Amino acid sequence: MKKYLLYFFSIALLFVISCKKEDATQIDTEYPVIHIDGAAAFPKQCSTVKRGEKFIFRARLSDNTTLGSVSVDIHHNFDHHTHSTEVETCGMDAIKAPVKPFLFIQSYPITAGLANFEVQQEITVPADIDPGDYHFMIRLTDKEGWQTIKGLSIKIL
Amino acid sequence: MYRLLATQTLLTSFYVKILFIVLVLAFAAIEVQGQSLVLSGKITDAQRQPLKGVMISLYPGTLQVKTDVNGYYVLTDLDKGNYELKASFPDFREVLVKVELHSQDLAIPLTLHRLHHQLDEVKVIDKHIELRRQEESLNVDVVNADFIQRNLGGSLMKTLERLPGIKTIGIGSGQSKPLIRGLGFNRVVVVDKGVKHEGQQWGADHGLEIDQFAAGEIELIKGAASFVYGSDAIGGAIDIKPPAVPVPHTLGGSVDLIGKTNNSLYGTSVNLYGRNRHWFFDARATLQDYGDYRVPTDQVYVYDYAVKLYKNYLRNTAGKETGLHLNAGYVNDHFRSVFYLSNSFSKSGFFANAHGLEPRRVDEVLHDRSGRDILMPNQEVNHWKAINHSELQLPGHRLEMELGYQHNFRQEFSQYVNHGYMPPVYPDGLEIPADLEREFDKEVYSVNLRDNITLGRHEVKVGANLELQHNDIFGWSFLVPAFKQITAGAFVYDKFKLSEAVLLHGALRYDHGRINMFAYQDWFNSTVTIDGETVTEKLSRAANLSRTFNSLVWSAGLNYNPEGGFSLKANVGKSFRMPIAKELGANGVNYHYFSYERGNADLSPEQSYQADLSLTWTAPRWSVQLSPFYNYFSNYIYLNPTAAHDYFYGAGNQVFQYAQSRVKRYGGELQFKYQLFKNLSAEVLAEYLYAKQLSGDKKGYTLPFSPPASALFNLTWSPQIKGVEDSYFSVDYRVTAAQENIVPPEKKTPGYQVINVQAGTKIRIYSRPVMISLQAQNLLDTRYLNHTSFYRLIELPEAGRNIILSLKIPFNIHSVPR
Repeated sequence: MKKYLLYFFSIALLFVISCKKEDATQIDTEYPVIHIDGAAAFPKQCSTVKRGEKFIFRARLSDNTTLGSVSVDIHHNFDHHTHSTEVETCGMDAIKAPVKPFLFIQSYPITAGLANFEVQQEITVPADIDPGDYHFMIRLTDKEGWQTIKGLSIKIL
Repeated sequence: MYRLLATQTLLTSFYVKILFIVLVLAFAAIEVQGQSLVLSGKITDAQRQPLKGVMISLYPGTLQVKTDVNGYYVLTDLDKGNYELKASFPDFREVLVKVELHSQDLAIPLTLHRLHHQLDEVKVIDKHIELRRQEESLNVDVVNADFIQRNLGGSLMKTLERLPGIKTIGIGSGQSKPLIRGLGFNRVVVVDKGVKHEGQQWGADHGLEIDQFAAGEIELIKGAASFVYGSDAIGGAIDIKPPAVPVPHTLGGSVDLIGKTNNSLYGTSVNLYGRNRHWFFDARATLQDYGDYRVPTDQVYVYDYAVKLYKNYLRNTAGKETGLHLNAGYVNDHFRSVFYLSNSFSKSGFFANAHGLEPRRVDEVLHDRSGRDILMPNQEVNHWKAINHSELQLPGHRLEMELGYQHNFRQEFSQYVNHGYMPPVYPDGLEIPADLEREFDKEVYSVNLRDNITLGRHEVKVGANLELQHNDIFGWSFLVPAFKQITAGAFVYDKFKLSEAVLLHGALRYDHGRINMFAYQDWFNSTVTIDGETVTEKLSRAANLSRTFNSLVWSAGLNYNPEGGFSLKANVGKSFRMPIAKELGANGVNYHYFSYERGNADLSPEQSYQADLSLTWTAPRWSVQLSPFYNYFSNYIYLNPTAAHDYFYGAGNQVFQYAQSRVKRYGGELQFKYQLFKNLSAEVLAEYLYAKQLSGDKKGYTLPFSPPASALFNLTWSPQIKGVEDSYFSVDYRVTAAQENIVPPEKKTPGYQVINVQAGTKIRIYSRPVMISLQAQNLLDTRYLNHTSFYRLIELPEAGRNIILSLKIPFNIHSVPR
């Protein structure tokens, strides 16, 4: 009888030991960061841009290891849906039906192997689009596939 | 020599507690030579009159004989060993006795008693679950309707979550899917009444369309079980058995009443059954209606965006469910054929501030006006099922057949939101309704055939399965193409009794599958500027695609049950899984995750090798069971979040690409029970799981939805109180470790401790046992995050304190006449 008990615990112990010798390879679990607090960064939460004009999207991007790619999506928020990731709320126009809203989707490459990157891209706002509340979404990935989303509320005048 | 232990199989549904008398009778031992032993005896009634035609069954095995005109039966050519002998005869109480055949023939006479409901009760010792565990080399757990009643959760899978190794992937308070040792979705098979349940297993926000009140016994197989259940059982299987057939010449039923405080749920399940000698019916209707559920916080953050909750209610998570069931059929001693018809319907809302995971600004005034209304976004699921199970007993053979038809229809409604290049205003004249985001329409035909053959020491099972699927899609968003699928498989399984203590198992299975996916084109134009050139077109998201898969899998196992309290089981085997349509053909944006999911038409079937061990030591006052496993996948299919964004097909979203990698997994469960005092027992249930990808883009990372280690400490007090029966008061204290081992896009989840309390009793009213169960889930209203919850990514805490009261009131319209 006791023999079995001994078996039992020796097998159990063996199992526990075999689990312990796991190699501790470091994996990256950190998200990349979009910095829009710098003085030069644009747009910021509640920024305004004008129709028929150009503006420069400027932000500092960083990761603990290697950055992946960055993508920008500007779409209307006339229906007041929520994409904003910012605490500050901006004064919104009344809900309205879109006629010819501005839609801009573009992804920008980041030179391979960088941990820090200043994105500077010129974006043209057409003159004939609907003015009003828009979302300016920035999506940033790192090499491992972690993604950070920043949703900014902006106004096109 | 031998020991008689009268037991009783479940004669009818659990709520009808049949009384019976144990009979322990004389024996005679005859000297005999060789291995060929004989078991014989005379069956009489209480007046000592011989009974002719009594069915005598010997387990394990499929041996059956009937008594002759003088009440005698003879079973010849038996090997020595432990058996259970069952005597059944219409209108009489079944008797099950344990027989140990050693070197001598045995004579076991039995006396059968007429069924009569008002006899004094004798404690029933039900051994068939224990026997099942001892004779199965896979890791198997069996629970019955009492367990469901005691631990009733928001859905069947939530109820089963108390078992070690079982977790759920859930959304809201009523929908969840099983996760066995960290594997879920299409890696776990749910079998309902013998036929594989086919819903939308691949989606995290779809529940399982099973009514937990209609379940009889549930068998959970932890570990690869492809050789019995086919392709998808690579992670395990959950086999839901129908309630037992009613006792002859009865007419009765029961009423269940359920109330829950957290989501103000009220519900009822009404059952009516009847049987004459051979024909029976068993009908059930279940209705549940619940409001928004509450969490222990008044503010949540959806992607950092603060959402205020009105009085802790999760906006628009109300729902309702109905389940209708009719089982009817013919039963005699050697033949049975039963039809199972059921329809389950549910309508439930999604948390309004995050449809899926996508943040939405909602009309809070409208949503907070009532906690019970189901506004948009919401889903409606209807699952209709018709199954026939037939069984024929021949000498040495038991033939079984299941025929099944299922229709799963799921619709997801939400207000139109233009994403990416979709037009800002929903166009008129489009065939798709503006509020129909997705629709999945699935029809499934299944055929299973099995023969259980007894050949001396061998118990052989041969069988074949065939399944045909037809899947249609509709709605303004696209994720998975429509497809047709045919799978066919054949298997042979042998259980060989090597000696008194050793059982050997071997199985082989061959499968063939073919999937045809159909082309899909967007209903809207996408516009992209390439080198100053503007291209506008309706994107083709899927092309016609056909793939064929073949697979040969095997399994080998051992049971060692020597004298004394120790027992061991071991199993090694190969399992496989065919890639599903989503893995092969997805090509669209899942706005719930802001991911552009891209399938891979070249995926090969997943192959898994698994070794399972289970060691049990049982002593009079305690028992301990340790079940470790090791599992290796040579090509695990997973959705890999890449570093890229796609602005054409993916509308600027991150590319999630289906890929395959080598994966190792190991872990185990520990169960420890200790009887402290006569009425006080303690239990510890613990589980641990580790998974690691060994190749590919995410080498070194774990697999998604890996549950953290956890342990459940239980103390149960079962006092003998005059006037009531089966009283219990039980406390579950669950400690869950933090999950630091994550893979994109998951988040690290802190550890937590939760206390659940269960109490209950049975009171006799008009001699019928009325069962009262009370539960307090999350007693301390602890705020915690569940790593495997769908809403984990948006930091939504789990439900707060929930008091659950349920009553089961059996009634009898007509008892067995004398």
